[in-house]
Amino acid sequence: MPAVDGKLEAILARVRKPARYLGNEWNVWHKDHTRAKVKMALAFPDLYEVAMSNQGLKILYDSVNRQEEIFMDRVFAPAVDMEEMMREHDLPLFALESRLPVADFDAVGFSLQYELSYSNVLNMLNLAGIPIYSSERRENDPLVIGGGPCTYNPEPLAPFFDLFLLGEAEEALPELLNKLADLKARGIAGNELLFELSSLEGVYVPVFYRPVYRDGILIGMERTDPRAPAVVKKRAVKDLDSVPYPDAPIVPYIQSIHDRAVVELFRGCRRGCRFCQAGFVFRPVRRRSREKIVETAQRIIRSTGYEELSLSSLSSTDYPQIDRLINEINEALEGEMTRCTLPSLRLDSYSIKLADQLHQGRRSSLTFAPEAASERLRRFINKDLSEDEIFSALGDAIEAGWQGFKLYFMIGLPTEKREDIEAIVTMCRDIRRYFEDRAKRKPKISVSVATFVPKAHTPFQWEPQLPMSEVFKRQQILRDGFKSMPGVDLSWHDAEASLLEAVFARGDRSLASALEKAWRLGCRFDGWSEHFNFRLWEQAFFELNLDAENYACRRYSYDEVLPWDHLHCGVGKEFFIREHRRAMAEDFTQGESNDPDSF
Amino acid sequence: MTRIRFSFSRKSQLKHISHLDMVRLFHRALRRSGLPLAYSKGYNPHPRFNLAAPLPLETTAEEEFGEIFFEEEVSQERFLKGLGPQLPDGLELTGAFRVDLKAPALPALVKAALYWAQPVTGTQAEVEPEAIREALRKIISQKEIIATRPGKKQKKRRINVRPFIIDLELNIAAGRTPAVKMLLKVGSEGGVSPGFVIHRLEEEMEKGLPEGTYWCLHRERLYLEEDEVLRPLSEGM
Repeated sequence: MPAVDGKLEAILARVRKPARYLGNEWNVWHKDHTRAKVKMALAFPDLYEVAMSNQGLKILYDSVNRQEEIFMDRVFAPAVDMEEMMREHDLPLFALESRLPVADFDAVGFSLQYELSYSNVLNMLNLAGIPIYSSERRENDPLVIGGGPCTYNPEPLAPFFDLFLLGEAEEALPELLNKLADLKARGIAGNELLFELSSLEGVYVPVFYRPVYRDGILIGMERTDPRAPAVVKKRAVKDLDSVPYPDAPIVPYIQSIHDRAVVELFRGCRRGCRFCQAGFVFRPVRRRSREKIVETAQRIIRSTGYEELSLSSLSSTDYPQIDRLINEINEALEGEMTRCTLPSLRLDSYSIKLADQLHQGRRSSLTFAPEAASERLRRFINKDLSEDEIFSALGDAIEAGWQGFKLYFMIGLPTEKREDIEAIVTMCRDIRRYFEDRAKRKPKISVSVATFVPKAHTPFQWEPQLPMSEVFKRQQILRDGFKSMPGVDLSWHDAEASLLEAVFARGDRSLASALEKAWRLGCRFDGWSEHFNFRLWEQAFFELNLDAENYACRRYSYDEVLPWDHLHCGVGKEFFIREHRRAMAEDFTQGESNDPDSF
Repeated sequence: MTRIRFSFSRKSQLKHISHLDMVRLFHRALRRSGLPLAYSKGYNPHPRFNLAAPLPLETTAEEEFGEIFFEEEVSQERFLKGLGPQLPDGLELTGAFRVDLKAPALPALVKAALYWAQPVTGTQAEVEPEAIREALRKIISQKEIIATRPGKKQKKRRINVRPFIIDLELNIAAGRTPAVKMLLKVGSEGGVSPGFVIHRLEEEMEKGLPEGTYWCLHRERLYLEEDEVLRPLSEGM
């Protein structure tokens, strides 16, 4: 549209990284939106560089655009300088390729990957000229949809969304959009439209449910429309080989965080680490066939020219005969000068051998996530790894010539004691010493420490997050311990940001007003340390008389109503209770009994 | 083994990408073309490819050059047919030539570049050509213009870039906006960016430019130097 383009040119000359707002990258779908019967803007509430690293986005962009009569375009959060220009020049939020204002689409779908992106969601709606509250939207406003992992507890966002799509959207979203087109053509609108859409499996319409409180505690969800299902079940694709995979993904012009080809090996995970939401909500475990993966890998490399191919899934080394898969991929890509990588490795000898197979050249650092440094705590979170196994695997890595390790740990886990924190320091010291003894040189070790965030649909969903004051104390213990260890790089997640994450991960609909207030006070890009402003969030909570720590740090009991009880991820509450009890008894649960549908 | 030099143009839809983005773009386009690229040796092999001179951000270009080494025999025609379709809208191959394997590296040849800069006000306001001409005169008359550039170990270096400004001129074609013509030194022996010169120009203008004015930058040609005379780089092919 000329109006947008004219203003846009002048603005692009004055912002950083204008390529973020260009669109028309290699492999974009060039469709004529005027010929489509329904248009959707796929929105990722973060910068271009982050959004374009998200594989789910690529999968949806591809699967929806393959439908001839549907037009899907992308829109991401404009950086702060661009937002300022847009507001100054009255330029509404627009989609990348078509340059159409987002408000002109039939639907806008937000990919909700993490809680700290929520303020960006409100900001994008506002920039688009769409009323942030679902109840205030008019007939011409686009349908506002939410998808992604946060839909497993979307309650803090409920008043801002018309509907959520739980689970995998590659089949469900085209279905929903086709149905939307049909309903609109028949003149159906408002709650009747939403009701019709809610008949699709996986669709959760928040306006049909009302939270009931007593003394500030949630005691149930009432249906405002008796026809709405009592429980909404997620969508899952039955056979990964039968759904299309983006084999000609968009190649960004500018560098995104993960700028490489990705092929998804399987979904779900049978390991059952008790803090991990993804492993549970993506069950049952389903894999792509070896032939499909090899074929897809070849197509992607040829259509993009990428030099690196990541074999992605939650626990890639668990793919049956992964070494054979790697060999077949390497053969298929013979002569293409492509590097294959695995996202992260289990701390076992098998995985080390795989890493060696993939990296014939210089071996820099291997990444591992022990999470807990004491055997007791590892058993508690269901990570089956003894001290001996860890050092044996590390020994293999050192022998193979790896120069160092990157280690991920988590503090604030339930039942954690001081000795568990100190075990992190001891383990790193022991690793360093072990390395120096065997390799006769100093290793490069970097340690990253996250704070436990209790997530919905995990065995730890009843557990509170550690209060911030305690988190600070334990981070200090770590800092003191590592002070006497030169050559080890320690980094940790900001405790205030982790608190906010836990608040929104565990909280209910009463948080929506706090989110709105924080956004109005100026909160944006909360996931970025240079923009995250905890004082403003504190102010928002204070003005609304809400206590953040109450949401994050209050233990839930088994018989309480959880804010996500009406949403089913495929694994039931009884299973999580059983796992939680086993954790408390420090019982390890084997992969097989976890998941009847395991490999 | 074959060594091919090629010329290309860049239009406005791709002016927003940086030099490093351009290199990556070419790497990927070359890989997609299926042509037998030669790769560097060592732990991190990359295609043996070079652009003659980094193209500044926000700059369109008429005649840029790059060169590539191929493992086997590749004719000019095969090269153009292979790479051409892999380039996005906004980048166009305009020629290709085979070059002696032992010829000097392409980037080392580049000594200067010719730029055009046109102010765009975005409103009805006009830019006064005289004001620009006056500011250009001031810059030309200065013996020293200091730029701070990042140096080693986080220290900033101050260098005098006035010697890198070879010529500045104001062009006013009938009925069109004034355009600044800049001949600037560029390359491994030192240079100055058109952006820097324009910024300097704005500083020297007493009344400044109307608010919201931005500049459209265009690089018309690159130059090599032979016997102290600048000649278009295309003559060195």
